[in-house]
Amino acid sequence: MNHLPQAWGRPRDDIYGAYDHSYLQSSGPITHTQKPVVTGTSVLAVKFKDGVVIAADNLGGLRKSCTDLLLVNADIWVEASYGSLARFTDVKRLRSFNSTSVIGIGGDVSDMQYIDRLLNSLSITESHSSDGHILSAANLHTYLSKVMYKRRTDINPLWNQILVAGLDGDEKPFLASVDLLGTTFSSPTLATGFGAHLAQPLLRQVVGSEEDVPSITREKAVEAIKECMKVLFYRDARSIDRYSIAVVTKAGGVELKEDEQLEGQSWAFAETIRGYGTQVA
Amino acid sequence: MFLARSEYDRGVNTFSPEGRLFQVEYSLEAIKLGSTAIGVATGEGVLLGVEKRVTSSLLEASSVEKIVEIDQHIGCAMSGLQADARSMVEHARVESQNYSFHYNEPLRVESCTQAICDLALRFGEGAEGEESIMSRPFGVALLIAGIDEDGPQLYHAEPSGTFYRYDAKAIGSGSEGAQDGLQKEYHKSLTLAEAETLVLKTLKQVMEEKLDSNNVQLASVTREKGFRIYSDEEMSDIVSRLPTN
Amino acid sequence: MAASIFSSNPTLASGPNYSFSQAANNAAAGVKEHSFYPYTDNGGSTLGISGSDFAILAGDTRSTSGYNINSRYAPKVFKIGGDDETGEGAHIVLSVVGFAADGQALKERLDTIVKMYKYQHGKNMSVKACAQRLSTILYQKRFFPYYVHAILGGIDDEGKGSLYSYDPVGSYERESCRAGGAAASLIMPFLDNQVKNNNQYIPGSGEGHELVARKAEPLPKEEVVKIVRDAFTSATERHIEVGDGLQMLVATKDGIEEVYFPLKRD
Repeated sequence: MNHLPQAWGRPRDDIYGAYDHSYLQSSGPITHTQKPVVTGTSVLAVKFKDGVVIAADNLGGLRKSCTDLLLVNADIWVEASYGSLARFTDVKRLRSFNSTSVIGIGGDVSDMQYIDRLLNSLSITESHSSDGHILSAANLHTYLSKVMYKRRTDINPLWNQILVAGLDGDEKPFLASVDLLGTTFSSPTLATGFGAHLAQPLLRQVVGSEEDVPSITREKAVEAIKECMKVLFYRDARSIDRYSIAVVTKAGGVELKEDEQLEGQSWAFAETIRGYGTQVA
Repeated sequence: MFLARSEYDRGVNTFSPEGRLFQVEYSLEAIKLGSTAIGVATGEGVLLGVEKRVTSSLLEASSVEKIVEIDQHIGCAMSGLQADARSMVEHARVESQNYSFHYNEPLRVESCTQAICDLALRFGEGAEGEESIMSRPFGVALLIAGIDEDGPQLYHAEPSGTFYRYDAKAIGSGSEGAQDGLQKEYHKSLTLAEAETLVLKTLKQVMEEKLDSNNVQLASVTREKGFRIYSDEEMSDIVSRLPTN
Repeated sequence: MAASIFSSNPTLASGPNYSFSQAANNAAAGVKEHSFYPYTDNGGSTLGISGSDFAILAGDTRSTSGYNINSRYAPKVFKIGGDDETGEGAHIVLSVVGFAADGQALKERLDTIVKMYKYQHGKNMSVKACAQRLSTILYQKRFFPYYVHAILGGIDDEGKGSLYSYDPVGSYERESCRAGGAAASLIMPFLDNQVKNNNQYIPGSGEGHELVARKAEPLPKEEVVKIVRDAFTSATERHIEVGDGLQMLVATKDGIEEVYFPLKRD
């Protein structure tokens, strides 16, 4: 037993190694977010003839790869091996703005909450100007891109990739992305995180180019998104089967459902997987 | 008008009930006390001429600088408080250098004049929230002569911050008489040499002292040579060319 | 000048390669450094050629992140100083390739400067003036550069096509042709040969050193469009970051014309 009471309850050096005091230093350069801690991954969206469908699962995980930090004593942060903890299972990663846009946020959840507050105050100031003009999804995307680029330029990034879905100033479908570097782009289908690898190719099979958009129905778009959410749940370890989905149209405004369950799962394929663990040939 | 003077002439930031800014109006009066300066724009170039007011035989006439260079292609003549003109000219020089640094081409004469007038208004707060940097308006008017892609041009800038382009303009104590003279004699096809005699002839009419090559100064801006102050020899030549009367 | 700052070909080592190190700044003992790297390479290529009375700027429309395609239509060539939506009234063209967010920021800054210039000086900014201004903009960020290879084009005061190319910190020169971005090293030698007629000799003009080199002459517009299309179809074949679409802005005395051709999307 250790006879020094001040060491009780603290990680043992012989097991965890000496504590890295550089985390505690108060002098030296100002440091900002270097790595995301709590993260969400994929956001998917696709345009159709009258609007846009966007979806994201409700998971906020602690990421092992990013040195999870666990508060043990009031003044000490200790590295803890919690693996890829599925920490929060009801993180809503879609939010609506006006009746014309929905944004989906991937990446750091605390930065997402900051962006959420930012948009709340933007929404309030805009509604108080009462000039009758409401910000379109295109306006919102421009605003967010300036915020993100400013923060990256200050070397203090908001660790997110954001999809902005909705209607532009001419009430045409609008879909664009902005990330932690301030990079922006637009495409008839977009996906962040793991979805960029898994879902984007599938979505592109449905909507190959901007010219295809007018021939895509709402039903087809929703079906494609749901199918992709399922694929992601099958193949992305950091995903769960509860998700949020929103449809933005001129006629219906924003229809946001935040607690959907993935339907029609079939894990039959899993039985055919060979080559892992004790399974050979 | 001085009877109407009231408490409203103390600050530069307050209009009188009749809608006047007295300090600005007074600054225009200060120019009427200044030495006469004349500018004439011709197709060949712009000519500037000033009276030097050599008040003492002990005064070194060459130290009276009332025509100065702003850039290779722009010069100006002044009338009024000379010290004020120095800071305006300094501003214009910086503006001109800054422009050619950024754009690799010479500043336009109108833009140069505008830059000077922007400064002239800085007795109040600037449009972009700049603080007021002067306690009063300038007490000097400038004749800005220059040449750019639109040809030779002459501008008159006042302490009020307004400016106009002229074919020919006189400022200072003799300006009223001189302007009449210019009005009668000016025509569009004037050559630079004709402008030289016109300017000196007009100055001669309004000057209190007798004009000689020592108490006047000429300068020109031409496409070939840019801004140039006339040498003593050139001055003597031109003065000797004047009709005697 | 304008040495290729971005990688030309991804190496075959593991994982997507970036043109510059994405590795964290591993701190020496004590001070912990940021591991956030504020740049990325969004791939793609640009190219500009000037003729006797026109200038063409071209760029592919693909935007990438590593091996991912972000978008198949993300323009790299822009009209400067015109209407925000239509570009109408513009007389200068700019292409930017490298880090797309910096490119966008640079383009927006130059655009407002050109517009303000017209209000302040009562005339359109000349291409020469704009070229110098772009250089000072880039140099003012010497210690946190816009990570882009910019090319500026338009019609000069004499009515001739003019083209200026830049490095990220503002060093620039007027040239008859220039390729930028991911496939610059693939396209530039082709341009040297086809536009500047480098290494071309007049057949039968002599033996050895006597052989007479073919002089470069300004090419007609139609010919240049063909060269640009060939350059990009070839670059698309050989470089994974190039493809999807080819966008061209052709500046003449009558204004700026936009042309689009599809490229392979693989």
